[in-house]
Amino acid sequence: MKLVDLMPVVDTGKCKGCKTCVRVCPVLAVKIEGKVAVVDLDRCRGCADCEQRCPEYAIAMVRRPEPVSVGVNVDELDYQRIRELCLKARFHPEQTVCYCTGTRADEVAGAILLGAKTPEDVSFMTGLRTGCKVECIEPVLRLLEAAGIHPEPVPDGWQWYGRTVTAWEIPEHVKQKYASRGFYFDEDIEILDRVVSAPLQGKE
Amino acid sequence: MRPPIAPIPPRQSMYGIDPSLVKTRVSELPGMTSVTLSELFPDLPPVIYPGDGGIAAVRKRTEEALKGIDMSRIKPGDSVNICASHHGFTLLGGEPYAEMLRTIRDAIEERTGCTNIRLRAGVGLRFRETEEYIRRYKLDEYFKGKAAGVAPVDEGVAIETEIGTLYGIKKIYDADWIVHAHNSDVREVHFHRMVDRAVKPFGMSYARIETRSTYHQNLGPRAANFIARAIFDSPFVQDKFAFACFLTVAPHGILGVDADNDLYSLNERITGVGCRYYGKMMTLLGEIDDCIVALDFPCPVVYVFSAGVVYANFAGANTDLFDLESPLPAYTWYTESFYGRKGFPLLPEIPKLNPAVRMCVHNYAWTGYPSAFFSEHIPTVVVGSEQADLFNRDPQNLNYMKHSVLSESTESAMDFARKATGVDKVLIFDGAPGGINLSPPLRDFLLSRAPEVNRRVEEELFPKWLRQRGVFATSAAA
Repeated sequence: MKLVDLMPVVDTGKCKGCKTCVRVCPVLAVKIEGKVAVVDLDRCRGCADCEQRCPEYAIAMVRRPEPVSVGVNVDELDYQRIRELCLKARFHPEQTVCYCTGTRADEVAGAILLGAKTPEDVSFMTGLRTGCKVECIEPVLRLLEAAGIHPEPVPDGWQWYGRTVTAWEIPEHVKQKYASRGFYFDEDIEILDRVVSAPLQGKE
Repeated sequence: MRPPIAPIPPRQSMYGIDPSLVKTRVSELPGMTSVTLSELFPDLPPVIYPGDGGIAAVRKRTEEALKGIDMSRIKPGDSVNICASHHGFTLLGGEPYAEMLRTIRDAIEERTGCTNIRLRAGVGLRFRETEEYIRRYKLDEYFKGKAAGVAPVDEGVAIETEIGTLYGIKKIYDADWIVHAHNSDVREVHFHRMVDRAVKPFGMSYARIETRSTYHQNLGPRAANFIARAIFDSPFVQDKFAFACFLTVAPHGILGVDADNDLYSLNERITGVGCRYYGKMMTLLGEIDDCIVALDFPCPVVYVFSAGVVYANFAGANTDLFDLESPLPAYTWYTESFYGRKGFPLLPEIPKLNPAVRMCVHNYAWTGYPSAFFSEHIPTVVVGSEQADLFNRDPQNLNYMKHSVLSESTESAMDFARKATGVDKVLIFDGAPGGINLSPPLRDFLLSRAPEVNRRVEEELFPKWLRQRGVFATSAAA
């Protein structure tokens, strides 16, 4: 759950229409019209990515007159299906996957069950990836893949490029090669597996 | 009673309140004192900074270190990216790192005739941070208009590694050669566990979001830093890598400058320095049974410094962060993610945040890092409504103030903390160079415990930590 209480304001005198904001926006809320950036405030989740990367310093974040709360209420969904999806992606359903918004794996799974097909859909529905914008892309891609969805990166966008390796996919020869250098691959897999299979707290 | 050490001053930044709003430093409160790290551990080696030689000592040692570097592959018409990271600018006010960067630039031009030398300064979660440092230290002028901050959401480049495709920041690698300009401060030992410390920026500040997310979500707490090694070892990076140059840092200051064409040799040396000296300091801080922590430094909550270590380390000092047999420190993002909906760890053996921290007084610290986990689990008093407003406006910290209380002044916050906890030990994270600002009872406590900690680290823990990392004492000490 995220309270969206900020919104970007574009200084059209400074904006040069370079599209950086378009390319980084995690919910595709920005487009260029008449050579300046225009933000769809109904889609914007207040992450400030545009403000932080604008090379002209043409965007400022201000308070929204009416904050919007976004999130997926997993209590209204079939939790067994949510749980199955999380386990298939090797997440405990209550595992936090976005440290800024506190979004848990079950919320992402819930968004997918409600029709999310891309990371942008998931961010729009849950608020995930609209805090630091950095650390939570891979869980989204893993959960989408577990649902049989293989999204394509946004054309000409920098939002994300692709799913990467997980602990369970590290080749055995790599593990052996670096076993004496302080990398505890199998031991960490054991911890991750135990977390995934731990009992639920919120549903007890 | 020894007076407090002058703390690092507040710094103008979009991530912190205006310095004029920091009315009182915690060390200025009546009764505060200090202890130097050399008093605690008399066998700490001498430092070049702070010192009588001033910043010139950093230039001199950088020049000396670079004399042994083979730069013959860099030709006059080539392009070179000196790759830097934000962390270096938080060490001892930032000027030593800036001076090392300037000196590397000068040495490359002088030795190779190459003039197309750029500075590429990576960040973590505060995308403008190195832009601020570049302005502050006038590095764009020094690099003749060729200095740029880069962020993990910037355009990426695919890097093929032995564990599949990972992604770097295109601007880091858009030159014929890259120079890895970093420091050996252990800083986020809770994340990298001092495994391949020297290599880490290839998986972090030089990396795209996919790579960073892999590090923090896909691999596990002790395998994570392999991401950095995989990228560094890739043919793409090896074809560009020229050399590395590091400030070698200990908790009490800068020991010198180390440079090498072989990053792994340098890594072995700084692993030894890091485990030995930071290990002593963290082990000593782990002895503290109860205290009030005061945050008072121009960095996000987790990165404020005391005794040369960051608050995130102290929040996990109830576990041995260097011991790889211990899978999860009390604070890492893996640990944080393993707390269930009711607010408890999902596995019984997951350690809680250091119970010695009875209360945290947030006098001055920045936004730009998700910190709600700390205020949720450690009673926190934030000083000043302006600071509270700033956190409430930060997309990474919308929940921080939900779990904190607000105090009008430093004095009232500390008074409340003392009365509410009944604790008289105060540990101040204000970056006091070479020492710790603290209350007299904590000073006495640390002085009484330090000799035994020193013995334990030297005789038991340090050899074990090196063994776990496959580092031999001889190469670590080279």
